[in-house]
Amino acid sequence: MRHWLRLHSIALVGTLKLILQSPLNAILNLLVVGIAVALPLGLYTGVSNLQNLSVRLPTEPQLSVFLQPDISNGDIARQKKRIEGLPGVISVKHISKQSALESLQGNSGMRELLAGLDGNPLPDAFAVQVKLLGDGELEKLALAIKADPAVDTLQQDNDWAKRLASLVALGHESVLTVSVLFGTALLLITANLVRMQILTRLDEIEVSKLIGATDSFIRRPFLYFATLQGLLGGVVGIGVVAIALSRLSKPVESLATLYGEHFTLNLPNAYVLAITLAAVVLVSLLGAVLSVSRQLKVLGG
Amino acid sequence: MIQFNQVTKRYPGGFEALKNLSFQIETGELVFLAGHSGAGKSTLLKLIAGIDKPSSGSVVVSGQTLAAIRRAAVPFVRRHLGLIFQDHKILFDRSVFDNVMLPLDIIGFDRRDATKRVRAALDKVGLLNHEKLNPVSLSGGEQQRLCIARAVVHRPSILLADEPTGNLDRAYALDIMELFKSFHQVGVTIVISAHDETLMADYGRRILRLNKGQFTQ
Repeated sequence: MRHWLRLHSIALVGTLKLILQSPLNAILNLLVVGIAVALPLGLYTGVSNLQNLSVRLPTEPQLSVFLQPDISNGDIARQKKRIEGLPGVISVKHISKQSALESLQGNSGMRELLAGLDGNPLPDAFAVQVKLLGDGELEKLALAIKADPAVDTLQQDNDWAKRLASLVALGHESVLTVSVLFGTALLLITANLVRMQILTRLDEIEVSKLIGATDSFIRRPFLYFATLQGLLGGVVGIGVVAIALSRLSKPVESLATLYGEHFTLNLPNAYVLAITLAAVVLVSLLGAVLSVSRQLKVLGG
Repeated sequence: MIQFNQVTKRYPGGFEALKNLSFQIETGELVFLAGHSGAGKSTLLKLIAGIDKPSSGSVVVSGQTLAAIRRAAVPFVRRHLGLIFQDHKILFDRSVFDNVMLPLDIIGFDRRDATKRVRAALDKVGLLNHEKLNPVSLSGGEQQRLCIARAVVHRPSILLADEPTGNLDRAYALDIMELFKSFHQVGVTIVISAHDETLMADYGRRILRLNKGQFTQ
């Protein structure tokens, strides 16, 4: 055990020497790794924030049905009954022109505007909750509702929620693609960095092998190097995303307020960040192992 | 200790560095290897160290046939050897002390014991007060002695020296020879190659003379 610890401490000291020999290079390398991590992680952060927003929106279709302005109460009741009877409809809620006006008046900007009008310009309306239907069926239902001349216009309310949901799905797909791309880039970057480290220590490796160093003795400092670089590079990557978020959060919040939404940008949770770090370290290690094994083979027994 | 059985070493391209050599070196023996440059001395030492493999025949060191050893076991065989290279192979990115420390680091020696051993080895070759220097600042003879200190610090049972006195003046070369003699006195098996036979003659030891890959008398 002590012997094992001794060998590892030798490797770790060797690694630190390796890094401290050219600190500027080490910093540049960390930035390269950090940016390679920041791009997919940043995309993931953006997508998961969008997803948070989209789960708050109803994706079940809701139809707003506006009736002709001069319709009688009897006709309203008849229309309600007719629509409730159509296939696919879950519920129909009547929003009278009076209650619509009242809710609008609660909105400060609108009050002055409405005060300038004589009478209530708003029509009676139904909020129609519909089962999840295929596009064609929804289209058919919309036509059936519109078929009666008492119905003025019909509006599908969940369009943009649906668009957002498909955008999020697209986002998830691109996170995966970008992660694979940058993961591969990271692998190649690490393999190349380790190869360069090996080249600068070729004399030491040759002498060490000649006087009885095992392959793992030679491999060890490079694996430590890759682990350390992956870990610190991952932290740099998370830092880059955090800085970008803090810069974006103010404008995004005020944009959300304009849409009447409360929305804050958040970093992914600790679990996701830990997995990110672990993945970066793993990929770096893999790059180092590939590179060292190749170089050891080139150097021969 | 060291046994060659009909060993031939052919390099790619067909050049035969060693031709059908058979000989034996006993435990604790000091043997000189003489011959001109290109006679095959370095090749012979490389075969003993397992750095090269024979094209045919077998090399047995400490009872082990080198060609039959698994690749992963080769480092452990090398740890019984002390190698002194013709080109020194000193690392100039570290101090004299750290150069000598390398073999002990490789073995994973306890740091405190290792420090004592390194100092003892440096003291033996007369470089103790140079331990903090970078080897660049050492003279040729001092670099040679540094190489010797590194070769003996882990107390090998076999010491192989390739032209250890090659570029040194006679007085300095005699110093180095005295060093080898003292290692021999504590039971180390030593093979020293040199092209200058006048140095060897003084010691009255067995001399293996190589010429074009074969022994001559």
